[in-house]
Amino acid sequence: MQKKIIILAVIIVIVAIVGYNYIYQDHRSIENERAEFVVSSSEIASLFSENATTAEQKFLNKTIEVSGLVSEINTNEITINDKVFCQFSNVIQNTIKESSKIKIKGRVIGYDDLLEQVKLDQCTIIK
Amino acid sequence: MKKITFLILVLISISAIGQNKYLTKTGLLAFEASVPSFEEVAAKNNSVTAILNTENGEFAALALVKAFRFKNALMEEHFNENYAESDSHPKTTFKGKIENFNFDALSEIDRSLTIDGSLTFHGVTKEIKEISLTLKVVDGKIILSGSFKVLVSDFAIDIPKIVANKLSDEVSVAFNFELVKK
Repeated sequence: MQKKIIILAVIIVIVAIVGYNYIYQDHRSIENERAEFVVSSSEIASLFSENATTAEQKFLNKTIEVSGLVSEINTNEITINDKVFCQFSNVIQNTIKESSKIKIKGRVIGYDDLLEQVKLDQCTIIK
Repeated sequence: MKKITFLILVLISISAIGQNKYLTKTGLLAFEASVPSFEEVAAKNNSVTAILNTENGEFAALALVKAFRFKNALMEEHFNENYAESDSHPKTTFKGKIENFNFDALSEIDRSLTIDGSLTFHGVTKEIKEISLTLKVVDGKIILSGSFKVLVSDFAIDIPKIVANKLSDEVSVAFNFELVKK
């Protein structure tokens, strides 16, 4: 009888732990994910401007690596070739200069048709 | 030759558009649909594009639904997959016109105005009248902020019965845009 109670208690604890970890699971870590696509900024921008719907199906919510020249730098954002807007979670170190070559990893969140830019978030600099 | 004429035309039109536009790419949009004593249902998006035409008060904003971040990762996943369905509806937009907008009347002191416009979310467009706004100019930037309320049921979003009591039908939305001249 006592054995049964102990087994039952153990099961309840395990279920509670699994349940808790499921409900309060961690966010994706884009930084530690492997990129599914490696593209240049002009490649991805033209895919989105030609047909946003098919490009969205392919890239939306995916981790990608984009390369190109830096066209604008702000405290938390870098724009590549005026076409890909990359938002960082942390402040960017000021060693990066305009019109220098860069490769950035981030998550595609969509296409901004007001400015005709592809947007990425949770970015990190690869090189 | 045709290409050159086209390019010149494009350049002229860009510069013509550019003169009186103020914009941001990192506007803040937050919503909350919490019910007291249950876990908060709230998300923030800090990469909203917004453009204001200072000649006539026309305003447009675009937010990517995937950029809404929740504290709880599972809630974020459910929001994207089941409610906002961000794979098929990746964008939410607002287009409107600020009533009685006059750029020269703006100053460092808060000025209250209203905007009428249409909000598109989850593929449904809804007219919203008289959203109150606060506008001021600080260091050459126009700071536009305000809030409004919408109903989940207006946007064709099905809430399963099991979560219906943990989620308010009335959603409060707040925004803050620091618009820079382009």
